[in-house]
Amino acid sequence: MAELGPKIKDIEDLDELRAILEAEKAGEDRVGAKTLIESRIEKFEADDDDDDGEIDLEEMSPADLGNALRRIDDVAELEALLEREEAGEDRGSIKRLINNRIDSIQGSDEDDTDLEIEVVPPEEKYPDLDHPTADKRHVRALEDGVYRDMWVYCETQQGELIDVSREMLGRAREMMDEYADEYGEEERVVAVLIGDDVGRLAEECISYGADVVVCHEDERLHRFQHKPYTEVFCDMARGAGHPFGREDRHDEEWRDYDEPRYVVFPATNNGRDLSALVQAELDSGLASDCSDLYIEDVVISNPVKVGKAGEKKEFKRVLHMPRPDFSGFEYSTILCLDNPTREFHPQGASVIPGAFEIPDPDPERDGEVIDHEIDLDDDWFQVEVTEYDTIEGGVDLTGHDVVVALGRGIGDDPTRGIELGLELTDAFDDAAFGITRGIVTSSYDFDAHVEEYTREDRQIGESGQVVEPELYIAAGVSGAVQHKVGCDEAETIIAINEDPNADIRDFSDYFIEGDLFEVLPRLTAALENGELDIGAIAADGGTVGGEN
Amino acid sequence: MHTLVLTKGVPDFREGKVSFDEDGHLERGKTPTVMNPNDRFALQAALQTKVRHGGRMSVMSMGPPGYQEILQEAMSSVYADDLYILSDREMAAADTWATSITLSTGIEKLGVPDLIFAGFKTADGETGHTGLQTAWGLEMPIITHVIALDIDEEAGTIRAKRLVEGDVEEIETVEANMPACIVTDPEFTPTYRTAGERLTLKDLRAETKARAEEFESHLTVWNQSELNLDPDYIGLDGSPTIVAGVDPIPKAPAEREATLVSADDTDGMSEVFETMAPFSETAAEAGGD
Repeated sequence: MAELGPKIKDIEDLDELRAILEAEKAGEDRVGAKTLIESRIEKFEADDDDDDGEIDLEEMSPADLGNALRRIDDVAELEALLEREEAGEDRGSIKRLINNRIDSIQGSDEDDTDLEIEVVPPEEKYPDLDHPTADKRHVRALEDGVYRDMWVYCETQQGELIDVSREMLGRAREMMDEYADEYGEEERVVAVLIGDDVGRLAEECISYGADVVVCHEDERLHRFQHKPYTEVFCDMARGAGHPFGREDRHDEEWRDYDEPRYVVFPATNNGRDLSALVQAELDSGLASDCSDLYIEDVVISNPVKVGKAGEKKEFKRVLHMPRPDFSGFEYSTILCLDNPTREFHPQGASVIPGAFEIPDPDPERDGEVIDHEIDLDDDWFQVEVTEYDTIEGGVDLTGHDVVVALGRGIGDDPTRGIELGLELTDAFDDAAFGITRGIVTSSYDFDAHVEEYTREDRQIGESGQVVEPELYIAAGVSGAVQHKVGCDEAETIIAINEDPNADIRDFSDYFIEGDLFEVLPRLTAALENGELDIGAIAADGGTVGGEN
Repeated sequence: MHTLVLTKGVPDFREGKVSFDEDGHLERGKTPTVMNPNDRFALQAALQTKVRHGGRMSVMSMGPPGYQEILQEAMSSVYADDLYILSDREMAAADTWATSITLSTGIEKLGVPDLIFAGFKTADGETGHTGLQTAWGLEMPIITHVIALDIDEEAGTIRAKRLVEGDVEEIETVEANMPACIVTDPEFTPTYRTAGERLTLKDLRAETKARAEEFESHLTVWNQSELNLDPDYIGLDGSPTIVAGVDPIPKAPAEREATLVSADDTDGMSEVFETMAPFSETAAEAGGD
């Protein structure tokens, strides 16, 4: 026994230790010996846990793992994880995530030698086409352009900043503070204000995180208009001497670069439009309706971006733009990257209102306010706003005792599904009817009489309304996290779903496994009659006191 | 009067049609392609224009050869006089900017129409950019989120109502000269005011359904060299953005413990009903509060 201690102390292999434990159990089965071995195993497992943080390959989803991997910088550790996965469930997606992380780290360590890209002029490469080809008209890329700072378009409405402008400034401030830490260079948050009498909002922009506010005021810009706002923004963005900018543009003291590195817009009707037009004019790319933004270096193998198939290239300071997809269960991360022979900057994004929190404003913050000067061309004013009015309401789903929500589970008979949901809603004293984003983006065909109930203004969720009723009934709702955000403050949540594994089960108080086309009418009838029709349920094959 | 509607195909996202692989990624190959649902509103806006003002209504798409069926769907489900598809391997995997450059080139080849209609957002990419960027490439005035439209053909002007949203929702009335680009909002509603218009609508709808049976004879296909486009500036090669990864959104941690009830379990369903009953209308009427 005395020898056992020192001996196993040298053993670092968990499997070996476990084998020894088994041998002991099968052999002399000494309590002392077993305890010694077990505590060594435990210590080793704890060390393993410390090393890996919370990396439990079996338990973690690819998304959780992706997030956890970003904190690991040790290639050996990652390779060990890879081996574990290969020995375990051997999932392609997990291995890819780990390999990508390894690549990212190794990419930073390698030399930054640019691949030799042979540049063949189009006339030579494609002699059969008429040159210049039709596409060249739209190309306004710079060569060796200098790009700095994060510009944030601060949209206003009825004379005030809208909330998403504050949210974007807050996030931009965070990103550029992290940028300074990461890259040792300070680049600024530049807020853009365009309109009539918007200059007075500059201080507010600074308090929310802007270092500079560039402002253009003109009474003709009182309402958002596509062409004038795009021209003004791009004129602000393009520095003096820019090949596609105004010839008479003067040098400015506050900036000495060609174009912004990043441009961020709100994903509102006008904000999104402006983002698309600005990036078209600047001949660059963008991702719309982003739910997050962060800046990171990344190693890419896409041959169009790298220049050669089979090679990799590291891109630094890349704005990562995750955006949720149609189903709510996946998100794509979009990157805007230079091609070897064509620069694509600024990197553009539009942000979902509510994706970021409004920060606490700091009135002590200092910043510079720049009045931008430009003559507005009459030709820009192609679309005249003759009237405008605020719409009362839309539909407010908040402030009701009960909310009934339907999801894509109505697919078998979408119109009937909505009807059943509305009937249930009517059976309550104070209930509102809502839908998930899945229905908004679906290609379901609804009959005219229910169509108005399927519109975006009834959407519940992260990018829709957030409700806190006493009772929330979700039928045919799978339970993506963006929907959860819209309803999980409800007192009681009842879910109706055919799929017992639906995510919504994790945040419901009652989960009725069943077909909503049967369950909803039953519940509606019960509410109207004051009692549940037990007979009908039992007749359908159930038993009194049946399975749970 | 010549109008053009831009359309594209998207995976059929209706429940039961979408296919996911084991990693949770959409299997586009296995999911059928349908016309982007929002394009229906653009087609209806163009059809309203034809009913009231006559003329020719063309429909155009950029995509793989299979998109011919999308064009057929547009022709049969709403209306089209003629169809155009811009199709070439070189155009594949384009983001919105590369697509817009290609489309604006195709539109110039066709001859810039009086009005271009596009739907708002596709069900898959959902960027809401292509109509706008195409119009910018053609240097046309743009009106977006249009819910209603009137045209003064003689004056060559249009008047539209559009939706603006921010912290509050607004409706604007705007006016512009043609040619112009209209991006319809999913809330767009066509209006037919007279019996004459409704009759014309009926006739046109019947005609287009018949025409759709032989849609190929109304279809023109243009490839990259016919459009005189540089392969390095379209498709993936001409796209500023790439998709770096598609990942599942992390599941929220389980916060409640659900009582499981089978729909045919009388005890369980009774318990659920007891939870709901106090909120019913009958309870309120009985209780008098």
